[in-house]
Amino acid sequence: MPATQSPAERELAQLIVTAVNLEEVDPAAIDPEAPLFGSGLGLDSIDALEIALEISKRYGFQLRSDDEENRRIFASLRSLAGHIEQHRVKD
Amino acid sequence: MGEHARLALLSAADPARPLLAVHGRIVSAGQFVREVHRLAQVLPAGPYLVNLCEERQHFLIAYCAALIRGQSNLMPPSRAPEVVAELIAAHPGSYPCDDALVAQATAGGGEAGAGVLEVPAQHVAEVVFTSGTTGPPKAHVKRWASFLGSTRVTASRIREQLAPRHAGARPWIVATVPPQHVYGTETSVLLPLAADMAVHSGRPLFPADVAAALAEVPEPRVLVTTPVHLRALAVSRHTLPPLALIVSSTAPLDAELAAAVERTLLTPVLELFGSTETCAIATRRAAHGEPWHGYPQVRLTPQEDGTRIEAPWLDGPTMLQDVIEARGDDRFIVRGRNLDMVEVAGKRASLAELTRRLLAVPGVEDAAVLQPEATSGGVAGVRRIAALVVAPGLTAEEITEHLSRSVEAAFLPRPLLLVPALPRNELGKITRERLLAALQSRS
Repeated sequence: MPATQSPAERELAQLIVTAVNLEEVDPAAIDPEAPLFGSGLGLDSIDALEIALEISKRYGFQLRSDDEENRRIFASLRSLAGHIEQHRVKD
Repeated sequence: MGEHARLALLSAADPARPLLAVHGRIVSAGQFVREVHRLAQVLPAGPYLVNLCEERQHFLIAYCAALIRGQSNLMPPSRAPEVVAELIAAHPGSYPCDDALVAQATAGGGEAGAGVLEVPAQHVAEVVFTSGTTGPPKAHVKRWASFLGSTRVTASRIREQLAPRHAGARPWIVATVPPQHVYGTETSVLLPLAADMAVHSGRPLFPADVAAALAEVPEPRVLVTTPVHLRALAVSRHTLPPLALIVSSTAPLDAELAAAVERTLLTPVLELFGSTETCAIATRRAAHGEPWHGYPQVRLTPQEDGTRIEAPWLDGPTMLQDVIEARGDDRFIVRGRNLDMVEVAGKRASLAELTRRLLAVPGVEDAAVLQPEATSGGVAGVRRIAALVVAPGLTAEEITEHLSRSVEAAFLPRPLLLVPALPRNELGKITRERLLAALQSRS
């Protein structure tokens, strides 16, 4: 049974599904601990670009991906939502 | 070029000259040569090295070490694990070289290497593979002299665009593209080796990453990138350090986007036209909507389903999928392309091959793929492949997971719709119209 989403995770799931036009995916059904990239949700770097743009527009800060530390943030919905909570400058 | 001629691996071999920027450190030509020697010493004896390095510096070291050992670099059409395995199986004596192998071989300090490294002019530097409409991937041989021939023209087209105050300065390249596809090889591998430029080892993705990488290198800075990344940079309005030039390739660059980038970033945008088979063969300033300016001595002959390209640096006549119309004086425009070949975010694949790979997934009984027109939403300008699949007992996720072993992420169908049967017309044929209608009715 996949873990339940927190409200912040639900919001991020919706942002992702809209940003990359995942027509067939219900945001509420995304397992927050499953991989976002590669397997799991199966996103790629083109999607990452779009998601980063949406996140910067919505939450007011820039994502980085150029080192190991930064890439870990993208491991799952949960890790990405946690990173956003820490760095957001808008409400 | 005489058969026994030898050409330098590094055109400007002064050991002190900067070649790479790696995690904020400058690596000199001498240090690079030392590392090439050290890796070359531990490589196996096979004829082919399959370069799987993710890090640009490692990729360059492995690339050169293979050449020094008289080996050729084998470039798979994609890094999907099964594709790489198939390639290695088809080439006895080939072996993979990854970041771990390079890092291990080059660990620790030592004397900087000296002396000029040379490669025979006719030596096969690379064998690149392209996925075609039928059969296994097709091999294209690239000889060292040939590579240098086209690289020289590319370098001069780049230098032409730099402002007078940069004349004589060594350009620093920051590339968002990987080194193993031909555009990335020509720019981030060959320009530093053969045209006295330098390159950042990273592969920045997000606008903030691009800004950080550019800040790690001195002027004049040349950003080598693609329309997808350029659009992200434009939309994000992220501040960048001053740029001397932006180079774009792999997919058509919208003239308006190019003009907007030139205005806001105060830099020319030079578009490069070419292919895996031919390397770069033309450039233009996309913002001006010009015809392409072909490289000297390139001959273009229109054919039924594409264009035949001949050039002194190619091993023989090569077919380009694009239909080209000459405009006199080395200028041409591109009319259209062979319908089987599709492009997603700058990468090319064959629809027929994608269909074959889908049909090879156990449990898939029938499948059809297509590339619908751009829809709203999703990354602007990126047209994903859609698929209709008959596979009772399988989920879309299961099929996609299996497919991902032999198909790169950019081409994984989205959406992948499961249907009871493919929509065929009275003649039993699947038409694009019927596939589109089936997709529409589900969304």
